[in-house]
Amino acid sequence: MKAFDYKFQHFDPVKSLKSAPKSEMYVPGHRTCAGCGPALNYRLVAKVAGRDTIFIGPTGCMYVANSSYLCTPYAVSWIHAQITNGGAVASGIEAAYKVLARKGKYDGPFPNIIVMAGDGGSVDIGLQAASAMMYRGHKVLFICYDNESYANTGIQTSPTTPYGANTTFTPPGKEIPEGKTLFPKDPPQLFIGGHPLLKYVATTSVAYPLDLMNKVRKALSYEGPTFLHMLTPCPKGWQFSEKLTIEMGKLAIETGMWSLYEWENGAYKYTHIPKKYKPVGEYMKHQGRFRHLKEEHIAKMQAFVDEKIQKVKAAAKPVEAVPAEPKKN
Amino acid sequence: MADEKMLTGCSAAAQALKLAEVEVICSYPIRPYTAIMMELAKMVANGELDAEFVHGEGEHAQLSVVLGASACGARAVTGSAGVGVTYAFELYSPLAGGRYPVQMTIADRTLDPPGDFGSEHTDAMSVRDQGWIIGWASTPQEVFDNTLMGYRIGEDPRIMLPQMTCQDGYFISHIPDKVKVASLSQVKEFLPPYSAPHPISTTCPVSHGPQIRPDQGAPMDAQRAETFLELPGVIKEATKDFNRIFGRNYDPFLEKYRLEDAEIAFFIQGAHSNTCRMAVDALRKQGVKAGMSRLRWVRPWPTTEIAESLGHVKAIGTIETSTSYGGAMRGGNLIHELRASLYDLDERPLTTSFMAGLGGETVWLEDFEFMAKVLLQTVKDKRTSKYVYWIGFED
Amino acid sequence: MSKKLPEFGKINVPHDRSVPFGAITPAPVHQQDLFKTSNWRIVRPVIDNDKCTRCLTCYIACPDSCWSFNDEEEVMEWNAGFCKGCQICIHECPSDALSAVPELDFADGVDRLEKPF
Repeated sequence: MKAFDYKFQHFDPVKSLKSAPKSEMYVPGHRTCAGCGPALNYRLVAKVAGRDTIFIGPTGCMYVANSSYLCTPYAVSWIHAQITNGGAVASGIEAAYKVLARKGKYDGPFPNIIVMAGDGGSVDIGLQAASAMMYRGHKVLFICYDNESYANTGIQTSPTTPYGANTTFTPPGKEIPEGKTLFPKDPPQLFIGGHPLLKYVATTSVAYPLDLMNKVRKALSYEGPTFLHMLTPCPKGWQFSEKLTIEMGKLAIETGMWSLYEWENGAYKYTHIPKKYKPVGEYMKHQGRFRHLKEEHIAKMQAFVDEKIQKVKAAAKPVEAVPAEPKKN
Repeated sequence: MADEKMLTGCSAAAQALKLAEVEVICSYPIRPYTAIMMELAKMVANGELDAEFVHGEGEHAQLSVVLGASACGARAVTGSAGVGVTYAFELYSPLAGGRYPVQMTIADRTLDPPGDFGSEHTDAMSVRDQGWIIGWASTPQEVFDNTLMGYRIGEDPRIMLPQMTCQDGYFISHIPDKVKVASLSQVKEFLPPYSAPHPISTTCPVSHGPQIRPDQGAPMDAQRAETFLELPGVIKEATKDFNRIFGRNYDPFLEKYRLEDAEIAFFIQGAHSNTCRMAVDALRKQGVKAGMSRLRWVRPWPTTEIAESLGHVKAIGTIETSTSYGGAMRGGNLIHELRASLYDLDERPLTTSFMAGLGGETVWLEDFEFMAKVLLQTVKDKRTSKYVYWIGFED
Repeated sequence: MSKKLPEFGKINVPHDRSVPFGAITPAPVHQQDLFKTSNWRIVRPVIDNDKCTRCLTCYIACPDSCWSFNDEEEVMEWNAGFCKGCQICIHECPSDALSAVPELDFADGVDRLEKPF
């Protein structure tokens, strides 16, 4: 096929909070819990994606809580998808815009097409559609907002729920003292390396908004599929006071439970690497979902995280976090 | 004007879709409809059709992809057969209730278990309750025609519903027959471009499908129900236009073959109606007043038209090429709604049903002779003695 | 056929119960007034403009976008209509400029909405 100019959008990095776009594309007025990590995440993503954006919302908290009832907080076009098919519906939208552009039925900038899927809708029931979309090379940003459970249905275990977490499908009991016995899937690792047209994968945390917004913009500047694994602490599911959402997003990185990195052109680039990692207990002690764990369970978690830290240290080269975070007093 | 070619049902569908200038195609292989997608793939590869050909990862994905495409205002098509149709089930209601007028082209296949490539209608029939427009062709020509009619009816601004255009696997999908392939100008006269009322757009942002409360459910359901009340009128208009532009002679809902003075009649849909017509002719030669009523659209079911055109018949037998286990008549599907349509008549025809062609078996002239004998006996006895007969298993 | 067949009739959805076509609704512009959440909170954040360094942390930390910077007056503005009282902003403020004050302390506190949604 001969080359056609689809008018893909390009984005400048956000240099400071002050220079970030002022308009909200995810506006106040939604039924998410007070302190909802995924809601904050959605707001930041929408803010930097801008007006020429289409969101696909597979069923989950970011569908039900946002759209109760017959009203949504999305100032840009949005469509509900099944929890099973976020990647597929997005593929159809991308295909439609491509053909409509070629036929002269649409001549605006090619919209950002963003799937906002939870962990279940990304790597459990939605995994097939996500993978196929990346394989086919559609220009879609697939976001996994990870609150580490099927939260909207009342907190059930998902493949990203941490070991030892108390969920309603993994309650601790006499027979099963730790609650969840399985260690989680690693979403970026599912996609990295196996999809030839997938060129950019990154992780983010709501505690680092500039880093987050810039990774979104970077992803949206690619002309093919991209994937973001975004940590979005959940006060209700993790059982912590709702004012600590951002603090949890920071402690996750400080303890090694979560790492911030980009995978681009086949290479890993880690940032925000703690000089000295805090013990996982520092993170887990705030969260009621871990309250039942004994020393031996926490030790198991520490061992798991230590292995991850080794991988980070092996892959990491010293990198300046760009752009600089605002200085705190 | 029109080119006459020898085409299989699959080719006929592909040719019609090309003339309809479909914009997004989502494929996945499953016998016996795959050839439709193979032909479309060639057209796209050769530049004969400017469309996005998306390789779906499965039938569930196929229906999801076309949903997204249709929401943006692109004319979309997908297709399947057998268990592929049932794998996609989750999407049928969202597509119909979301009012995305995609077309699903189906070449029927018996459902598992186990694998059986032969044709049965149960695959598409199982979608009857979801709010789709569903109908069967009986020849490759009719496949071609229904494909165009499907979009015209489904995309009508008063309707906006997805359509299943079905053909019997193998008998229609793979056996060539004469097809008048229309010209692009004829198609353009018949089929206006698709215009979504509130597409997913960057200039006029909308939210498709926010959560509703239970008390908003009934009004939501009522929307589809209301549309189905208007639908028969739109089908009549479209069929009239079609006949005029393309020189055909379709009744919008029922092909009535030698029915006006019939005392016994066969009620049938799909491929075996071709044999049925021959059987009717043979019976007439023997002095039996036989006729055939062939159903073109199972949804919307033509309740009134059936009562009006079959009310005078003394005994009607449905040919069931699908199963409804545990259903009221313990047989197939057509008998239930046929009886329901005739129920309010002062004088009700006697009705029974014949399981025939299941698994993709041929239905022979001898089978229709047997069915006629049963119907004639029914007339003589003035009562139905059995709800269902299994052709080939009866003495 | 002499007996009249039954009618299909019409479906009359009352106007106050109607649902938009295909459940397609218009997008909001600046805020979604059909879902105000002001009556969720039991405390509200109160700002001390002398302590505030205009670092914009509260602005970027709010899941409900309730803080914005007023360019002309150079102060942070708070959206009373939607703040849920989660206290993230209070917790994250690096200069102690925000404090949590009970809603009942305010004359316009405890915003009673006519219906929940």
